Amino acid sequence: MKRREFIFLIGGGLAWPAIARAQGGAKLHRIFWVSTESEPDPFLDGFRDGMRALGYVEGKTVTFETHYAPGNPQALRKIVSELQRGDVDLVVSSGPATRGMTAITDIPVLFALSGDPVALGVVKSLAHPGTNFTGSTFLSLELAGKRVELLKDIYPKLRKLAVFSNTDHPGEPLEWRATLESCRNLGIEAAYVPFCGAREIENGLMAAGKVDADALLVFPDAVTLVHRAKIAELAIAHRLPSMFGWSEYCDAGGLLSYGANQRTTYFRLATYADRILRGEYPSDLPVMRPEKFELAINMKTARLLGIKLDVSSILFRASKVIS
Amino acid sequence: MKDGAAQPSSCTMPPRRSLFCKYFATLFVAAVVPLILGAAVEASFGYRDQRRQISAVLQADARAASDRIEAFTDGMRDQLGWMVQLPWSAGDDAQHKIDALRLLQQVPAIASVSLLDETGTERVFVSRLLLNRTGRGIDMSADPAVLGARGNKVWYGPVQYQQDSEPYMRIAVAGSLPAAGVAIAEVNLKLIWDVIAAIRIGETGYAIVVDDSGHLIAHPDISRVLRGRASSGSFGRIKHLVGAASGAAVITGERGNPVVALSVQAADVGWTVIAMQPTAEAFASIRAALWRSSILIAFGVLVALALAYWRAHRMSGPIKQLEEGVERIRTGQFEHRIKIFSGDELQQLALRFNEMASELAISQQKSARIERLKQFLPSQVAELVEHSHELLEGQRREVAVIFGDLRGFTAFSTRNEPDVIMAVMREYYEAVGAVTTRHEATLIGFDGDGVMLLVNAPIACEQPATQAVRLAIDLQMTVQALAGKWCDAGHGIGFGVGVAMGPATVGTVGYNGRLDYTAMGAVVNLASRLCNLAKDAQILADPTIAGRVRDSVPMASLGQRTIKGYDQALEVFAVAPADLPSKLPGLAQRRREKEAQDH
Repeated sequence: MKRREFIFLIGGGLAWPAIARAQGGAKLHRIFWVSTESEPDPFLDGFRDGMRALGYVEGKTVTFETHYAPGNPQALRKIVSELQRGDVDLVVSSGPATRGMTAITDIPVLFALSGDPVALGVVKSLAHPGTNFTGSTFLSLELAGKRVELLKDIYPKLRKLAVFSNTDHPGEPLEWRATLESCRNLGIEAAYVPFCGAREIENGLMAAGKVDADALLVFPDAVTLVHRAKIAELAIAHRLPSMFGWSEYCDAGGLLSYGANQRTTYFRLATYADRILRGEYPSDLPVMRPEKFELAINMKTARLLGIKLDVSSILFRASKVIS
Repeated sequence: MKDGAAQPSSCTMPPRRSLFCKYFATLFVAAVVPLILGAAVEASFGYRDQRRQISAVLQADARAASDRIEAFTDGMRDQLGWMVQLPWSAGDDAQHKIDALRLLQQVPAIASVSLLDETGTERVFVSRLLLNRTGRGIDMSADPAVLGARGNKVWYGPVQYQQDSEPYMRIAVAGSLPAAGVAIAEVNLKLIWDVIAAIRIGETGYAIVVDDSGHLIAHPDISRVLRGRASSGSFGRIKHLVGAASGAAVITGERGNPVVALSVQAADVGWTVIAMQPTAEAFASIRAALWRSSILIAFGVLVALALAYWRAHRMSGPIKQLEEGVERIRTGQFEHRIKIFSGDELQQLALRFNEMASELAISQQKSARIERLKQFLPSQVAELVEHSHELLEGQRREVAVIFGDLRGFTAFSTRNEPDVIMAVMREYYEAVGAVTTRHEATLIGFDGDGVMLLVNAPIACEQPATQAVRLAIDLQMTVQALAGKWCDAGHGIGFGVGVAMGPATVGTVGYNGRLDYTAMGAVVNLASRLCNLAKDAQILADPTIAGRVRDSVPMASLGQRTIKGYDQALEVFAVAPADLPSKLPGLAQRRREKEAQDH
């Protein structure tokens, strides 16, 4: 009970009904992890942490079977047939992989989406999914415009923005469109620097360096997350104020980031996984949306770039300042 | 017949069992009833106290939650108040924007802020999600938020579910100067989850917040809130039920289990905080107490059972022993003794019983002795020997003495075999004994064919003379009846009787255990002489008797007779022949035979 209470306090409270119920027992739960990213997968780590905090022991009460199809959700469709084996308790689809999972109707699917799950057709509404799907959204698309605005707030002279994007990331076109619209509203020229997957990231970075931009916007995804240090390094080398999606980028030297805390999101997703494994139906579990967004600033990078933060309206808004 | 069959069983067995049962039941009830009553009273008081205590706890928790919700909304209002302190002037939109951004930083629950000037036109809009706007924007002067804030300084909007999932509320605050405009904040109510989730009542109790129409605003399980407006119907029911009760109410909770619930109103926003705790947990201590009581009662019942059984057994055991003792005494086992050492009245009773048994034994020995004495003594004397000694002391009193003697016995005994003689003697003795007993006379003894009887000694009687005469008549008749039978058998035996009355000394004489009761005096001799004088079937009496019975029995004087041993002749009387039934069987024949023998 002590342990449960502890988890209750740190687990975001979504595990509340679990307190009233008996422990799930020593049954081994099989979880399918599908992703359009590639390994190493920081999101899987976040989810694993969440499950561990809820008392699950990998190999004993839970096992993960990971399936990756970098950049190609359609390639994941073939694993759907694998699910017919019948011994899978839960599918967790990270990011755009959800697009490939729509054919699953008899196994609970947890998603963590950047976009709108209702628009994708996997749930009927946020309040009542009504299907075997539920999960969490990052509201990443909604924030795409906000990131450009913040970048302009910190660097008002911003005229030309390099947008570094992994086209392998399935939601990427929508994000690019939202960014583009925001740039237009703010009178900024957007320079699109696409690359495709981890193989092309070096070339992409070289291309980004060649664009004569005032700042760099990097779309959040697993590939850029994995190579965040390299990207941050490049931005500093080219004296570009950089904007990212999650605070992990700032930790690695990025100037700014704005977005939901992805670890918290995956942590919460684990509480939903727990509830489903304990017998609740996804159709009754409302889709979660983040209500807190982190604005992280790396002061060291700011100094290196010679940006005077004290004159901008950014510093007091930061929820995380790295110095 | 039925009675006879039922009698033994209803008399002997059931009373014993029922006495045991009665004692057992009484002792048992006496021990158990107070125990159960005590536990029941304890439980009812405990329940009342517990209920009051739960009420207090729920009240405190609900109040704390409502206070914190008020602090949440008050904080919001105060923060918004900062936004509308200064009047709008040209060109300070940027400053207002910074203020608004700082507000977002300060209050995490605010998702966006709109600042309006005095005309109700939006001048600054900042949001966490959407792009910020500055400069003259849309006209919101007709917005209920603006109207409400202008009228009331502060306005709390209704709870709305964004995308029918996340609860939001708008709060508008107007500045004290109309020129300061209005600030409208959009507040994400998911953030008051912290307030509610922190409230734990006992182990599983919790608090929820519902709005005026019963829609869920906050719940420890936030996914219930996120299910939106449509699925919060059950909370309207709970709100109604709890609101209707004063104090804590026991209702069916959201999961169908019974809960104790209490509601408190959060004044400003019109929300209701409902604190609830499952009854299973709320009354756990009462249940535990009841369990403890039950175990105590069970233990008490066992002890009471054992004690009552022991007590009742201690009571009925000796009674059973006594009953057995009585039964044994009844069958003559006087040596039986009851052993009860209970140290109480029962032991006393057993002691008395044993005394009674020993006295019974003595008395039985005594009557056995009397029985033996009766073989040798007249039965009255035998009784007297046992019971009163002074009566048998030699004393002088007036007695009637009767002698009887068979006539012709000598001739009969010489002519017949001894066993024939014995048979005749036996019949004769039995007849005499029977008559003696019938008339309550004392048989002094047989002397061959003679017999001596005594009246008025040792037992006194009212009219000894009359009784003696009646006895003599009876005796004569009885023996004559026998004599007739003997005559038929060829034995010529007759019977004569003499009766005399006078003072004599009566008492026991004897030696070494052999006792005889007898009378001494002239009257004894006289009666004997009269007997000798009497002819067959005749009863002769002395003048004393004759004088005494003259009125009742006719007597015929036979004139003066000289009697041996007496100096003077004495008048002798005979019981009149009329009184002696003349038709005595075979008397005439015997007389003839006798006369033939005599002559």
